[in-house]
This record gives sequence, structure tokens and C-alpha cells, in this order.
Amino acid sequence: MVIDILMILEKGIWFGFAALGFAVLFNVPQRTLLIVWIMGALGGMTKIILMQCTIEIVIATFAGASLVGILSVFAAHNKHTPPLVFSIPAVIPMIPGAFAYKMMLGLIKLSGAEPSGTYYQTLSETTSNGLKTIFILLALAVGVAIPLLISRKETVKRIKHKSDSI
Amino acid sequence: MNGQNIQKVKEVEELLLDVGTLLMSNGASTGRVRITVNRIAEALGYDVELLITSRSLMLTVTEENGSAYTSSVRRTPPHGVNFRIVSGISRLSWRVIEDKLTVEQINQDINRLTALPYYPRLVVLSLVALAGTSFCRLFGGVGWELLITFAATFFGLFIRQEALKMRFNPYLAVVFASFGASMIAGLSVKLGIGDAPEHALATSVLFLIPGVPLINSLTDLIDGNTLNRIVRGVNGFIIAFAIALGLMFAMQIYGI
Repeated sequence: MVIDILMILEKGIWFGFAALGFAVLFNVPQRTLLIVWIMGALGGMTKIILMQCTIEIVIATFAGASLVGILSVFAAHNKHTPPLVFSIPAVIPMIPGAFAYKMMLGLIKLSGAEPSGTYYQTLSETTSNGLKTIFILLALAVGVAIPLLISRKETVKRIKHKSDSI
Repeated sequence: MNGQNIQKVKEVEELLLDVGTLLMSNGASTGRVRITVNRIAEALGYDVELLITSRSLMLTVTEENGSAYTSSVRRTPPHGVNFRIVSGISRLSWRVIEDKLTVEQINQDINRLTALPYYPRLVVLSLVALAGTSFCRLFGGVGWELLITFAATFFGLFIRQEALKMRFNPYLAVVFASFGASMIAGLSVKLGIGDAPEHALATSVLFLIPGVPLINSLTDLIDGNTLNRIVRGVNGFIIAFAIALGLMFAMQIYGI
């Protein structure tokens, strides 16, 4: 079990760096960099932990992305920055690159092959990888968007103003 | 309707067009553009109606307690993503309400925001390459594969930046970058460096993934901006296709 925790922590660190790279690519303000790193790491770790509990990757990704979405709402309060500045770089490490790549290879193979022999096996593998890619992408985007929709009518900041005035 | 009022409305209109097109071309969702433009207009005492599409912005500004109005359309330049501007304008819109900024002050602040620097090029290249390496590690890569991914991503992003500087079509720039990165990573597969060099090949092109269009596309869908959602989605899809095209060329050359 100790090894598992170490593994999860290590993956968390890598998730964080992947998020940081995209944050810099999107030129986010400097004061948000550390938070993006932490949010990327937490989101990724949530996904890994859930997957270790034998939860399906699509649902695990959805949970990770939702966590990022919720955290981005709080971060937006604190740093006076729209939530998407945090959430987009932080969820990008969860994008299903491996599945997308395998699907692509499958499609190339299928486009060149005759429908016989291993064709049908490749077809079913490609379908499976493609469906996973699409649904993980959907889970990411919806997971990020839902906390925002729940938390605000128009903008994150107005909630704070209202609660101040009460 | 006297001349002075019209002059003022025109000033506000110019300002709102600046704000809207800047937000749109730098990666804000349609809903955010609408909210921010409305907020600034309201604070200055004007009503505004917007038509937001992905490549142009149209708005009508009316005085709240008067009859002067004006309409105008502006093209939205196709830009990269720059969240520093999105974030800056969002803060600015709150300062317009709280500090009662004038049109002049807002214009100055926008000029300041657009002049804000990017991160140094070497820092961007290295950190994005590190992100590529992280992807490779997450997919189970070790040792050599990590190094190769770093080099491939670094080089790929460099190609993309240069291609954009030379004003190539943005999709073509993605094809070039994807091709360059996978040529480097593919070499390791061809020569059999490391245990599982496919990891390097699969992850070397991931820095190109169209994350902002895809996520904004979903945000727009949920907000009800269906048309913009489709435009963004198609845009993201073409970028994904461009990545695949570059990767495919490299793989055909190496015969992997």
C-alpha cells in the first residue's frame, strides 16, 4: 500500500508539471502558476485514486475534472481571475492522449487493410479506443463546466458581493 | 440627438469593440465576452446589444437616458490564446464599476494590458517540453523515452512558433509541428532506443491538443451559444486532424 501512495504522489507531481506547461503556453498571469500546478496535481491524483478503486476511467476523469472545476471557483475568488484561467490548463493533463493515439493508429491501419483476418479485431479495438477518447473528453469538459454553472448565475464575483451585503 | 452625445457614444462603442474582440480572440468563452462587455457598458451608463460570432463582433450601443445610438461591426483577429489579457480585462471590468473609471482611463488600461509581455521564449519552450515529458511519464515512459519526448516537444513547439511567425496557416503550422516532433520521437522507435519507445511517439505531439477550443466549445454549448459551440468544436476537430496528419506522415516515412 505504501508503494501505491508513493506512486500516486509521483503521478500527482507529473500531472502538476503537465498543467504548468500548458499554463505557460496560454500565458496565464504569474500569480496563478502555483495554483494551476496544485490543481492539476489534485485533479490528476483524484482520477488515479478512483481508478485504483476499480472505477471506470470515464467516471474517474469526470470526478477529477469536477474537483478542478470546484477549486477553480474558489481560486477565482481569491486571485480575481476568471475560473477558466485555472481550470483549462489544469484539466488538460487528463486528456486521453494514449487512447486517441491508439485510435489514430487503428484508423490508419483500417484505411489501408482489406476486411479479412485481423481486420475485425483492429476494428473492435479502434472502436473501443475511439469511444473512450470521446467520452473522456466529454467528461472533462462537462466536469469542469458543471461546478461553474452551479456556483454562479452570471459571475463568480457577484456571489461574493451578495454574501457581503447580507 | 446632438453631436456631442453621438461623439461620446462612438467612443464607448470603440472601447466595447476593443474589449469584446480582445476577449474573443484570446480564448474567452462567448458567455464571458457578453458578460464583460455588458458590465462595462452598464457601469458607463449605456445599453448594449451584442452579436458575437467567432470571427466578428457586432454591437449596438444606446444611451441609457437618451436617444443617441450607434452600431458597428468589427472583425475578430484570429489569435493565439492569451489568458493574461482575459484575466486582465475581467479585473478591469470590476474596477470600472468600483472605481468609476472614465473611458480614457479604460483605454489606457487596455493599452497597458495588450503590451504585457509573454513569458520568455526559452521558458515557454522548456516548460512545455517538461509538460510533454510529464505526459510520457504518466503513460508509463521511463529513462530515454522521457528525454526523447522532451527534445521532440521542444523542437515541435519551436517549429510551430516559427511557422506562425512566417504567417503560415495555423492548421498547417500544427501539421508542421506534429510532423517535426514525431520525426524525432519516431527515430527512437525506428532505432529501438529504450524499452517502449512508442510512449515517446504517442506523447510527443500532445502539446498541440486543442484544449481551449474543445472546453470552450462545451462551455458555449451549456450556455446556449450553439452556433459558436459548433464553430469552436469544428476548429478543435480540424486541429486534432492536423496533428494526426503530421504524425501519419512521419510514421509513413519511417514505415512504423
